[in-house]
Amino acid sequence: MQREESRTDLGTIRIHKNVIASIASLAAMEIQGVKKIGGNFKSGVMELMGQKSNLAVKVEINKNEEVKVEIPLIIKYGFNIPDVANKVQESVRNGLEKMTNLSIKDININVQGIERGQ
Amino acid sequence: MRIFSVLGVIFYTIILILIGLVLIVFALNLLQPQDINNLMNYVQANQNARIITGLSGFLLILITFSFAQLMLGRFQREKTIAFTTSSGEVTIALSAVEDLIRRLAGIIPEIKELRPDVIATKKGIVVDLRVVLRSEANIPELTARLQDITRGKIQEVLGIEEQIAIKIHVAKIISHEEKKRKEDKEEQPTIPFSGYTRV
Repeated sequence: MQREESRTDLGTIRIHKNVIASIASLAAMEIQGVKKIGGNFKSGVMELMGQKSNLAVKVEINKNEEVKVEIPLIIKYGFNIPDVANKVQESVRNGLEKMTNLSIKDININVQGIERGQ
Repeated sequence: MRIFSVLGVIFYTIILILIGLVLIVFALNLLQPQDINNLMNYVQANQNARIITGLSGFLLILITFSFAQLMLGRFQREKTIAFTTSSGEVTIALSAVEDLIRRLAGIIPEIKELRPDVIATKKGIVVDLRVVLRSEANIPELTARLQDITRGKIQEVLGIEEQIAIKIHVAKIISHEEKKRKEDKEEQPTIPFSGYTRV
């Protein structure tokens, strides 16, 4: 799996894609209106096996070390989807920039479903 | 793409018809086990026949695999409504819009069941609603209200200004009697083994 790498005087710092995915999903979950992170077949199988993973959040790092994140979301019923999506994009951008100093190219949101909020 | 699907369907139809014919012929005793045995022996003995059989098998697997890919790819491709923001793209699955509409059934008490089908076209969004109503409902008034609520909800939640066409199909009207009968059936507990008597 590709990792984001930076060099310091003492050595290299590598940030795994899973870390970026975790930050993105945590930042997304902070937003009111987000019910949960959506999933795909692979993440569903992993969840069935009892492994909690961020496989549903796709992270791509290109040659210019720019990060592209794709987050599937389930939105709570009654919330304005574009508003929630915008807030998630902002939150993920802030979270990633604050925690990793990475340059974020795209944060794509894929609204997969709507569920009743608690 | 379409021609491949048609060819694939024709191919599998022919294969299945052939299998069916062989089974019928075998059942009518027109094909003896000895004939099958002879054919197998011939294929195994002849070098060319073996190569042809092997290649046919390989080709069959390849065609099946390609056809499965084509069909599954088509089923998996989920249709979405997309818009772009400064941070990236936002796609909304049409199934999410259907979820949203399905929840409207709870708002209107006259609606027993609501099955939406959302299609995104170049002109806008087309919503097909299949509804089951309770008998006390005034259909013209109710359907007009349902169209308004659905349109309003989609515009409010999705924030889109595209044209939204809402088609309603009243599939069934449940009467009071039918409802009562169903409720009575549910209320009356059945006695286990009540149909049996002692001899």
